[in-house]
Amino acid sequence: MIEVGHMAAFLALAACLVQTWYGVRGNRAMAAGMAYSALGLMSLAFGLLIWSFVTSDFSVALVTANSHTFKPLAYKIAGAWGNHEGSMALWCLVSIGFAAAGAWRLRTGRREFEAKALGIQGGISVGSLVYLLFASNPFLRLDPAPLQGNGLNPLLQDPGLAIHPPMLYLGYVGFSFVFALAAAGLIEGRIDRDWAKATRPFVLAAWVPLSLGIALGSYWAYYELGWGGWWFWDPVENASLMPWLLGAALLHSIVVTEKRGGFAAWTVLLAVLAFCFSILGAFLVRSGVLTSVHAFAIDPLRGSLLLAGLMAYGGAALALFAWRAPVLKGGPDWQFVSREGALMANNLVFFVATITVLLGTIFPLLAEATGRQMSVGMPYFNLTFAPIMALLLVGLPLVQGWSWGAATPKLHWMRGVSVGAGIGVLVLLALWRMKLPLGAGVGVALGLWLVYGAGRELVRRAVTLPRIFALPARVWGMSLAHLGIGLFVIGAVVQTSGRYEQTVALQAGQSVEVAGWAVTLEDVRSAEGPNWYADRATLTARKGSASARLLPEKRYYPAARMPTTETAIHKTGFGDLYTALGDRREVDGKTIWTFRIYYNPLIDLIFFGVFLMALGGVFAAAGGRKARVTASQPEPERKPDPEPSGPKILEPAE
Amino acid sequence: MKRFLCLFLLPLLMAFNDVPLADPALEARARALMDEIRCVACENEPISQSGAEIAGDMRQRVRLMVEAGESDAAIRGWFADRYGEFVLFRPQTTGASGLLLWGLPFGGLLMGALGLALVFRQRHKRRGGVEIAAIPPDAFDGLPVSNQVSDEQAGN
Repeated sequence: MIEVGHMAAFLALAACLVQTWYGVRGNRAMAAGMAYSALGLMSLAFGLLIWSFVTSDFSVALVTANSHTFKPLAYKIAGAWGNHEGSMALWCLVSIGFAAAGAWRLRTGRREFEAKALGIQGGISVGSLVYLLFASNPFLRLDPAPLQGNGLNPLLQDPGLAIHPPMLYLGYVGFSFVFALAAAGLIEGRIDRDWAKATRPFVLAAWVPLSLGIALGSYWAYYELGWGGWWFWDPVENASLMPWLLGAALLHSIVVTEKRGGFAAWTVLLAVLAFCFSILGAFLVRSGVLTSVHAFAIDPLRGSLLLAGLMAYGGAALALFAWRAPVLKGGPDWQFVSREGALMANNLVFFVATITVLLGTIFPLLAEATGRQMSVGMPYFNLTFAPIMALLLVGLPLVQGWSWGAATPKLHWMRGVSVGAGIGVLVLLALWRMKLPLGAGVGVALGLWLVYGAGRELVRRAVTLPRIFALPARVWGMSLAHLGIGLFVIGAVVQTSGRYEQTVALQAGQSVEVAGWAVTLEDVRSAEGPNWYADRATLTARKGSASARLLPEKRYYPAARMPTTETAIHKTGFGDLYTALGDRREVDGKTIWTFRIYYNPLIDLIFFGVFLMALGGVFAAAGGRKARVTASQPEPERKPDPEPSGPKILEPAE
Repeated sequence: MKRFLCLFLLPLLMAFNDVPLADPALEARARALMDEIRCVACENEPISQSGAEIAGDMRQRVRLMVEAGESDAAIRGWFADRYGEFVLFRPQTTGASGLLLWGLPFGGLLMGALGLALVFRQRHKRRGGVEIAAIPPDAFDGLPVSNQVSDEQAGN
């Protein structure tokens, strides 16, 4: 069976080669046909790989290395991409899938351009498939086949982690298609409003899953690792954050290109960089230059190949950019105080923030090359990245209503004072209720300021409150995303500065107090699952009339010979009471268990905030389509739309 | 993997040997320092989180030094001298590397802003002082024009 998959992957490679050939020569129909064929072939290949996992076919080397008959079905399936080779196969599938989506959805009326974009994406797929088939082949047999497999890394046996990699890949690989569109536009010398309109949905198609993938990974780290934290500035986390930041910058910059025709070269450069950082992320994670749970391909050859790919594709892209960027035309003139100016400042901050993360991530690697051992960790990022981003967020509500071309911002003292007073009261309330330090108050104020700004912009655009539901989906998308970042800031600040943490040793019947909750250890019993056994503690938590039972576990997976912690979390409404079971010890004939108990206030706001950003992205992808059209209103004069099905665009007075 | 093991060997040591300082202010300072000092036995973990035995000793040392009235900088310096600057999650600000690491983000932001302002001024001059029309952001959002209001009308 797997040989059929192997063959199909080779045929997909052939189809991608043909797609590249026809695409670059401008034959859209043939390139599209090849993209669909490649998608069919690669789906077959990947489907057969999954099938080998489902049926536990241990004659396939990859299944033996990463699966086990006792594993639940869902994790047998997820096991197909929970390893280096399988995840590269998924990478190829997504890359081909984006080409097919482009072949299906791209309708710009410029067949040359579309064909070239498909051709370039085909070239990227070719690179990925060559890497898959010749450097990390998942379709190889094992002879003789063993009776049992080694099991999946138990840390990955988790619903969050089962869908985390596909989401991230949609993001990373999605940026490769954005790059293909940018490169095609560069070759044509036309990065204009039509190009931006066609490209923006694909930026969102990459950025939204990337946001969700990062949030899932973060949430998983929170409840699975048992450390109570959600972001560790780990190099692997940073590797996914950098393309996300550049993607966010691109989303703001491409709006200027779409609405005004401006920022063309910069938008294209961001598209190129987002793609380069996606490959850089893959390289950092896969090459073994970093050590972490993600680095499951510690093989110097694979690393060097990825680096060579990064150099080749990234170098070609930057060279193309340097050659063609001078051809691009700018938009109409604008003043410094204008929407364009505000978005330029936005992009400057996003860009510097990305460079800061890059610097902190690779600096220890560079230092090591000179024989110096050093670390760059959380304190560095908290003192550089956070204030730089805060600058952007403080400004956002102030400038979001600015006009294109030239804005005339007015000061409204009354409103300023009342908003400031309202936020001040809420912050003081928060400081008093949660006993936070004053510095945290500034952070909470910033978050509330953003929440206010998001709501204010909706009302301002709608003029009257009831009309906000008639606003275009796109405006809603923007406001939801900005609301999300506000809630995220509040959650992050309150959790970081208000969290409570304690390590305790308890006998059965003993109690400890954590953040007002009396936590009692009832007992610890053995438990068993399909492919693990565990110690499971029963804790009772009481606070006033509220009570909760928490069952943290320490699991052991015999197939992988590995323990994991399963935390137990009680949602109190204002935060999480979080417990993790530690070791057992006999002291004076009594059995004592260690626990880590945390109270994490408002932590759900962090994940909910990111979810809102992603949801905002989905709304924004809906484009400028009207949520509702009232027929009675007189139709204004419009320039004819180049594309009848698309959103109506009013030409700016130039 | 090492990183996870540190967690699973989670330590009675820690629960028993870690005696918080009596003064809550000093204890808070000690904890903040523990978050910034890297465990030498684990992967990318501060000593405050680590279950390794040596991390416990290092925590003890932090508390002793805080209690003895040493400054944060002196304590960081002591650890850097003994274990190498590898243990400092907050990289030093001294030297060329310190300047690059800490200066580039803020310097980059400043230089970027200045550079963009200069480029913008030149471009603006070259194009001449033509009056630029203000177009409200709503103009492109697809609402019928009659519904649109400028910034002034909306009271912004």
